[in-house]
Parts: sequence; C-alpha cells; structure tokens
Amino acid sequence: MKPFLSVDNLSVEIETSRGLLKVLRNVSFEIDSGASVGIVGESGSGKSMTLKAVLDLLPSTARYTSGEIYLEGVPLLSKSPKERRALLAEKIGIIFQDSMTALNPVLTVGYQIMEAPRFRLGWDKNKARARAIELMELVGIPEAEKRLNAYPHQLSGGLRQRIAIAIALAGNPQMIFCDEPTTALDVTIQAQVLRLLLDLREKENLGVVFVTHDLAVVNEICDKLLVMYAGRFIESGEVQKTFQNPGHPYTYSLLKSAPDPDVPVHRLFSILGEPPDLTKPLQGCPFAPRCFAVQDNCLASEPPIIDTKGAHAACFHSSEIVKMESLSTINKGGQK
Amino acid sequence: MWVGVAILGTLAILAIFAPWITHTDPTAQDLSNTLLKPSIHHILGTDDLGRDVFTRLIFGARIDLAVGILAVLFPFIFGTTLGLLAGWFGGWFDLLLMRIVDVTIAFPFYVLAIAFSLVFGAGAKSIIITITVVGWVAYCRIVRAQVLVVKELDYVHAAQLSGLPTKRILGRHVLPNVISQAITFSMSDIVLSILAIVTLSFLGLGVADPTPEWGAMIQEGQAYILQEWWVPFIPGFMVVIVGFSLSLIGDGLVKRLIK
Repeated sequence: MKPFLSVDNLSVEIETSRGLLKVLRNVSFEIDSGASVGIVGESGSGKSMTLKAVLDLLPSTARYTSGEIYLEGVPLLSKSPKERRALLAEKIGIIFQDSMTALNPVLTVGYQIMEAPRFRLGWDKNKARARAIELMELVGIPEAEKRLNAYPHQLSGGLRQRIAIAIALAGNPQMIFCDEPTTALDVTIQAQVLRLLLDLREKENLGVVFVTHDLAVVNEICDKLLVMYAGRFIESGEVQKTFQNPGHPYTYSLLKSAPDPDVPVHRLFSILGEPPDLTKPLQGCPFAPRCFAVQDNCLASEPPIIDTKGAHAACFHSSEIVKMESLSTINKGGQK
Repeated sequence: MWVGVAILGTLAILAIFAPWITHTDPTAQDLSNTLLKPSIHHILGTDDLGRDVFTRLIFGARIDLAVGILAVLFPFIFGTTLGLLAGWFGGWFDLLLMRIVDVTIAFPFYVLAIAFSLVFGAGAKSIIITITVVGWVAYCRIVRAQVLVVKELDYVHAAQLSGLPTKRILGRHVLPNVISQAITFSMSDIVLSILAIVTLSFLGLGVADPTPEWGAMIQEGQAYILQEWWVPFIPGFMVVIVGFSLSLIGDGLVKRLIK
C-alpha cells in the first residue's frame, strides 16, 4: 500500500539578511493514512517549517531546492500551484498554535466553519449550517447553535481552539496537521483538547501529525516519533520503543530533560550549548558540539540515517549511548 | 470623537440644506451694502460686493466638503485595491508599483496641481483628479504593508489550505483586516485635501469666482484684513474647525480600530 504522505529528500532554503538559511536539509519521511505521528525538536529545528513546506505555506522568501512530496502517490511539487492547493485542501486540515491568530477576528466563527463546505464543496447555506452545528457539537462546544454567531474574541482560548479544529474538519480531510496546538492553552484545557483529538482519531479515523516540543503529549497520542535537529530528521521510530531505547544522544538528552514526577531533583537536566547556525556550512554531525558521546569520527562527517534496533537514528554511536552518558563527566546538568 | 462628529455633522447638514436655510442667493450682489458688519440681516456681514457671507459660507461648505470627500474616496479606492494586490501577489507587479509610488511621492504636489489645472481647466474636477493622482500612493503603501503582515497569519494560511478561491481570501480574510489603518488615515487625509482645495482656490487655480468657496473667499477678503477682518477670517476659521473636527474623528477611530 502506498503511504498517505511521502516526503522524499526535501530541502528548503530561506533568504535572510544573514545569508541563505538551510531550514530543511534532505528531509525524508512517510506517513500512513490514519497514523498519528509526533514531530519533536527544539525551536528552530525545522518542525514547523516541515509542516509549512508540505502544505505549500512557505513564506515568499523560501524556496524548495530539492526533493518531492507525494500525496497518495501524486507528486505535488510537479503540479501547478493551483492543482497543488486543490489536492492538499481536499486531504489535509491544519490547526495552529495560537487560536487568536488562527481565527479571522472580523468573521463569526460559524461563517468560518461554513466557508470551506460552501465555497469549495459548493454546498448550500442550510446544509453547510447544519454541518457546522454538527462539527461544533463533535468538537464539544456547548450551545453550538447559539455560538454560531459569536466572534472569536467572545470565546475563551479553549473554545477558540475547538473552533479551529472544527474549521480544519469542515473540509472533510483525512489527516490533520497540528502545529503545537496545545502550547498556548493552560494545562487542563490542554488535556481536554488532546482528549478531543484522540477521540476524533478513533471516531473519524483521522490521521494526525503533531508538531510539538512536549514529549508527554507525543507519548499520549502518537504512535510514531520523528525527532528533528538542525533541519534534519535524526531519529524515527515507534514512540514506546524510542522512549525506552533512544538511538540518538539528542533524543536521549531530550527525554532526560523531561522532569519525572516520581524522582525529586534539584536541577533539571539540560542540553548545553545551542543549535548550529544553519546559514553556515556544517562540518560533521550538527549535534557533536553539544553531545556527551562525541568521538573523533563525529566531527569528520555527518552521519547518515542508519538502522538501529528497528528504528532509525543518525548517529555513529547509537548502540553505546546509554553507557557513554553514564561514563561521561561533561554536560551533567544536575542530579547531584 | 463625538465632538468632532457633532461639529462636522452640523456643518454637513447646513451645507446640504443650504438653499432652505438661507433664502439669499450666494452670488447676489448688493453694491449699496458692501462690507457690512455682522447684523440681524447679515449674520456674518457682507463682502466687498455686498454678498451675504453666511450664505456664501454654507454654500462654500457644499463644495469644500464634497470635493474633500471625493478627493479622498477615489485615492482610497485605487490605493487600497492596488496595495492589496501588490502585497498579496508580490513579484514584478509589486516592484513596478512601488517604484511608481516612489516617483509620485518625489514629485512636488503643487507643480502637478498647476499642470492639471492648465490641462483640465481650473475647477473642482481638476482638483479631484490631481489629488487622486497623488493621494493613492499613501493608501497603497499603508495597505500593502499591512497585507504583508496579515498574509503570514494563521487564519489566512488556514483559508488558503482549505482551498478557498483567492478572491474570497482577499475579500473576506485579508481586506477587512488591513483596512482600518487606511480608514483612519483617510480622516486626516480629508483635512489635507480640504486644505489643498482651499490653497489652490486661494491661488486662483481651484474653484473660480463667483462660485462660493472658502479659499476663494479668503483670497477676496484678504485686501480688507485690517479694517473688515471678519471677511477673510470667517472662512479661514471654518477651515480650522473642519480640520479640528476631522482630527478628533481620526483620533477616535485610531483608538477604536487599531489596538
């Protein structure tokens, strides 16, 4: 079976005043229909840019320099912008981080939900209205019919995010891309929205791609994990397996920096240093300067994605990292 | 803001109902009663040809306000449309348009105004054309800059991704969210355009005598400024009041529309 979405060797550059920024470097991944995939990484690692690149929403200063995106086997980048947009619109919906900017402040939420059915699918107003109410009930908005005529600023953050989900669902997509959808919400609302996304996954058989830096969220709702660093995927694998047995020192460090409620610590573990400047050419593994397991060959060349225990990690020393970390004296953030 | 609306509204009502408020003809001369002081018969006195100043003032308001509003409406429409398209589509169209904007801004306004009044003849028409030709650039720039911000916002991205036609995205999602600054600017722009009309008429390039117009009235009255000072002062004061009330409205709109 063909994967729902397949990205092959995709590279994107952005022109900035400091020079060309290589935001995505030869990114390849596959997502099956109905799958739920979490993409994690720190700010600037290229997670949101991956979403934008796939969805053809790159800023005007960015351009594709290599690669191809296949949506159900159809190569998107070879199509005209118009055809590309039509194909994407039919299959994929999106939810953004900030529900304040994700909704148009001058239109009622009902209107915004009805827009795609009415003006893309060509439904009449009453049918679209009925569908909007149905969707609002589906995403758990009480008094849906009354709220149809509300403006975004009249709703709370949690409700706005639910509306955003309803808008994303209105076009009957098969997959929803979520760009840190819970980051701007408080914890209880976060849990509700995650619960909702989980329900939708089951009920509507909806695929979910989740961009986040919250590992707990990934653990809760994703099956597959993709880790990004410096514009590249450095590790991919099943969530459970990867959490127990990370193949890349970066993933290992990320997992270790997440606080464990059962273990009291004075200082959280943290990864020292900062990600590399992507306007400059890279020498060796981009994570090497911050890595506890760094060895000579790491500095010489960038590791390809190699197979480790059924998962893939771009590291020369995947098999030894746990041992290496316990031995190393550098980069111990805390736990004294 | 409401003070401004009240002043301007009163003035607009006076202007619209001018023929019913005063039964005097604004151009009727009475050479035996020239340069009278304000009195019961002539609330604001008479000018050098014995014409009633109050009558001329409110008939003049018709021309000044109408031209002022039209001379903002046309540039507003052109500038906003072009700015919207330039900001959204970018590319060579944007580049070309912005260079035209630069050239227009660099060109001295009154030189252009004199040239147009020679071509089209002095009068309200050529004033409106001149101000439109020059004025659209400000709206174009304001709207374009806003479009560049809004087009990267999530709801515009979401609208694009949901496959809506570009016309609808521009009309429903972009335009309503970029227009408030242009509207606010248009309020202060009306002041400027009324000033331009008054100035041009004062210079004899605008509305010609005997049609009542404030700039022309100031110009006719300036010879008497030492003895019968109210003749030039009153139309001048009207310009100040209109400018003041429009500024109040503009400030009020800034507070309301731009957060």
